[in-house]
Amino acid sequence: MATIEVKNLSKVYGSGETKVTALDAVNLIIEQGQFVAVMGPSGCGKSTLLHLIGGLDRPTSGSVFIEGSDISKMSDNSLTELRRRKMGFIFQFFNLIPVLDAIENTALPLILDGVKPELARSKASEWLNRNRLDGRGKHRPDELSGGQQQRVAISRAMVSDPVIILADEPTGNLDSRSGDEIAATLRKIVTDWKRTVLMVTHDPRIAAYADRIIFLKDGKVVDDTLLNGSNGDNAKRLKEKVESL
Amino acid sequence: MRIQLLLAWRYLWGRKQRMVLTTLAVVFGVTLLFGLNAMIPAMMESFRYNMVTTAGKVDISISSESNNPFDQSALNDLSEINGISQYTGILTKNVVLPESLGGSVNKLTGASAVTVTGVDIATAQKVRNYSLNEGRFLEVNDTYATVIPQLLADKMELKTGDTFVIPSSEGVAKLKVVGILSLSAAAGLDEIFVPLPVAQTILNLPEKINTIDILIKSGVNRDKVVSSILSKLGPNFKSGAIQTGEELSSALLMGESMMWLFGIMALAMAGFIIFNTFRTVVAERRRDLGMLRAIGASKHTIMGLIMVESLIQGIIGTGLGLVCGYLFCLGLLSGVGNIFAGLLRVTIGTPVITSANLIGSILLGVGFTVVSGYFPARSAMKVTPLEAMRPTLAIVEYRQNNRRAIWGLILLTLSVLGLVFGDVKIAGVSGVIFLVGIILIAPVLVKPVAVFFGKLISSIYPREGRLAQGNLTRQPSRAAITASSMMIGLAICIALMAMITSIEHGFMSYLDKSLGTDYLLMPPSLVLGGGNLGANQGLIERIKSIDGVKEATSLRLATSQVDGSTLQLIGVDPLVYPKIAGLEFSEGNSDKAFKAMSKGSAIIVNGVFAITNRVKPGDILALKSPHGVKNYTVVGIGFDYLNAKIATGYISQSDMARDFNSESDLLLLVNRKPEFTAEEVTPALQSVIKDFPTFSLIDSNSFKTEQMGMFKMAMSVFYLMVIMLAVPGLIAMANTMSINVIERTREIGMLRAVGATQTQVKRMVFAESVLLSALGTTMGILVGLFLSYLLVKAISVIGFKTDFYFPTMGIIASMVVGLVFGIIAAMVPARQAANTVIVEALQYE
Ligand SMILES: Nc1ncnc2c1ncn2[C@@H]1O[C@H](COP(=O)(O)OP(=O)(O)OP(=O)(O)O)[C@@H](O)[C@H]1O
Ligand SMILES: [Mg+2]
Repeated sequence: MATIEVKNLSKVYGSGETKVTALDAVNLIIEQGQFVAVMGPSGCGKSTLLHLIGGLDRPTSGSVFIEGSDISKMSDNSLTELRRRKMGFIFQFFNLIPVLDAIENTALPLILDGVKPELARSKASEWLNRNRLDGRGKHRPDELSGGQQQRVAISRAMVSDPVIILADEPTGNLDSRSGDEIAATLRKIVTDWKRTVLMVTHDPRIAAYADRIIFLKDGKVVDDTLLNGSNGDNAKRLKEKVESL
Repeated sequence: MRIQLLLAWRYLWGRKQRMVLTTLAVVFGVTLLFGLNAMIPAMMESFRYNMVTTAGKVDISISSESNNPFDQSALNDLSEINGISQYTGILTKNVVLPESLGGSVNKLTGASAVTVTGVDIATAQKVRNYSLNEGRFLEVNDTYATVIPQLLADKMELKTGDTFVIPSSEGVAKLKVVGILSLSAAAGLDEIFVPLPVAQTILNLPEKINTIDILIKSGVNRDKVVSSILSKLGPNFKSGAIQTGEELSSALLMGESMMWLFGIMALAMAGFIIFNTFRTVVAERRRDLGMLRAIGASKHTIMGLIMVESLIQGIIGTGLGLVCGYLFCLGLLSGVGNIFAGLLRVTIGTPVITSANLIGSILLGVGFTVVSGYFPARSAMKVTPLEAMRPTLAIVEYRQNNRRAIWGLILLTLSVLGLVFGDVKIAGVSGVIFLVGIILIAPVLVKPVAVFFGKLISSIYPREGRLAQGNLTRQPSRAAITASSMMIGLAICIALMAMITSIEHGFMSYLDKSLGTDYLLMPPSLVLGGGNLGANQGLIERIKSIDGVKEATSLRLATSQVDGSTLQLIGVDPLVYPKIAGLEFSEGNSDKAFKAMSKGSAIIVNGVFAITNRVKPGDILALKSPHGVKNYTVVGIGFDYLNAKIATGYISQSDMARDFNSESDLLLLVNRKPEFTAEEVTPALQSVIKDFPTFSLIDSNSFKTEQMGMFKMAMSVFYLMVIMLAVPGLIAMANTMSINVIERTREIGMLRAVGATQTQVKRMVFAESVLLSALGTTMGILVGLFLSYLLVKAISVIGFKTDFYFPTMGIIASMVVGLVFGIIAAMVPARQAANTVIVEALQYE
């Protein structure tokens, strides 16, 4: 059973003259422990795909299976629970709660799930330590750099032991060094923790950390490549590919 | 729940200024509600304490249906009734002690009054047990002797053998203290006992009693005995002690509902403020909320988050409000208390916290907050997880407000129609409808008003003015809500000021009409009735005989009931009274009415009574009297100044003597002969008064000044309340302005980055705030005029014939207040905006 299976997935926005087909009958199978990067020109439907897989939005037609169950038919409450337990989200704008400190931000999914506060906090600080944020637990987001904020966000995504991590341009708001750090952290999550990561990016250098690249264009999958070279080689190959497409 | 509490608390803490401001609004509302309502019961309690006699521990008490004294011959009828073991007749009445007789010494009960109870020496001790500490009880041969309770003896420093002087209808009565009673303090009143004939003389009620105390035989059914007594005595009697002070209680009850109205209005404003705040909170946090949804918070968790936040503020605000309310009440009582003490000779105690007030204030305080948080919470619930993925932009409202505006217009039309056609009750409803209508229409008004005033501001600060105008119009709903809370505040101010102006004008003319005489001989308490003790004919005869007195006339008092409601009766001399003083007529005319009165069985009623009992000239009133129900024809509707607030009827003194057994003069009006000067007449009057110490001599001019002073004082309390009602409007403005600044930190930073100076940023905020208050003021003046017209109309309907005076002062004051508020509200936010650090602003999330 694949971790993620996407069947004939379509998403259409609007109707009549303003109708936009963001996704057009997409099919995908993603196995556990794969680091997948989604690339493609602006407006090709990358974010839309991620939202549908994450259960944040509903498809126009087709279905998404997470560990074998069809999420497009789930109620809002079961979807919420699924997101809480099986998925971790990383956003482009970090999206931390400004009034909570790093530990509390990290522990949010656990607290939402009713886990005891002490346990939630200790799990949260474990993850913060793993992501090299030792000693930063008591800091509020405005006291952290962008890269650090994003690492808090990754810790938050990981804290509930999710099956899938979804990240939409996680490095989009960071300088290249911080970006590399984030990509490396995601890489580690896949290698060490066997999670499945689906990341949207337009930066070949970041995408090069992945195992597999899916190219979208006008809502369709136009290329699906497995990477196995060194990081540098991969980045070069990807750059050429982006230019050719 | 834990997560909601954590987040709610942190968010509140993270925005302290805003939390303080919104909570303050709740505090304010609860303060008014709780404080004002703790005041009324305090007053009521004092009245009860001071005026109502306790029934004593007898099996049955019989008094006349109208609470008036009745013939002691009624006692004879009781001898034949089965089941009665003992009975005795009592004449009891409160008597206010003038200061010259030690009235001010009595600090314990608050009132400078004693209850004089005349007892039938032969039977009294068979019915009640009078246990003595000292001396003896009254004996058959006693005349001017008395037994007094220990408490009073201590206060007045009296012991057996001393003389206790109290006012009497003949002047003063010198009573020899023969015994001291060991009545417990719980009995409360200073009740002194004298032989019945002495009491009848003191009170000028010969052969009269007002209560029969009865003990029944053991084993008989009390109800059966009561009904056989009542059927024997006839319909003019009732079982139960006599009740006094009822008329005032009902006036206070009306005051109580006014207080609730005030409090609720203040809370409604607080509700607006909270609603506004939470709407912004939700808008501001859309991305946080979306993120929470994305990482697995359910819709209910989100809704709960906002609700818990408002609940926290509601609880804190209500708690503080209760404390402030108590303090506020203390302050008010010491202010109003003085006026009361002067006017009624009643001291008012500490605030009284009734459970209804406490529970009501808590429920309303927390309730308003939670309800105001509910709608924003619902919209928070609808935030989708996708919101987390989008970059935030400051919110711009695209929604059309037209449908609401049309509804608003319909309501406005309805309310104006209601004013044209309706009576008072409909007018009240149309006032509310008008308010709602204007609130609905407000968002549409934002643009034109902003453009209009924006032009004014632009002529001073061209660039900032334009920016401010744009900022205001991009969120018309929020601007409208802020302006609405300010509007309610100002509208109430204007309405009340209009009312005050109108009443003030009216008051002056009543004073002139009612006190058109040169001298007044006043009882201790200005409100007639209660513990005032009248004089017998002797006083007025002596006054008439003074050289230099042209005319003298008196007012007498009795009470009656009509259809179950209490009516205070004032006995006047229909020939002399209209010449010296007269009434202000709203229906009928003076000449005809008094002529009819002199023929007998005619009554003039005042507006309060006419309205509540739907009485018009020509109606026949069935007045309960000690001699049965008597029919009086209503010959006019009019009132004097002293009794304007109490349901009152005026009848001739001869009718009053015949039907109500009252022949004591309570208040005397005296005119000087024009050829005499005050210096010649005043000393003569004073020497007469010396023998009647309950009366004080007042020359009308100084009395009028004194009354005006008191009135002004009462009005200043009113003004204070008016101002307090405007304060939430200020809070709302300050709140909105600081929210605006916080929300636009990014924009402001950008403006600064591209070259706006600190001064320009400040001006922009000020301009926006002033525009907002201009909007609020404009609406406030409109609604205020409408409300004030309604209020004045309503007052004149309940008895004060008051003309509507256009509240020019109120409007000018409102405009000034509006402008000042606009500036004050913007002060802190403007400084904040000006100090925005550009880099931080651009990072602001
Ligand atoms: N809520 C919406 N309403 C209408 N059209 C939408 C909506 N969201 C997305 N679209 C359209 O769907 C298409 C795909 O959008 P999507 O956000 O998935 O693109 P993307 O690949 O993530 O682009 P980018 O790289 O710029 O983020 C675009 O053409 C966009 O205009
Ligand atoms: Mg995108």
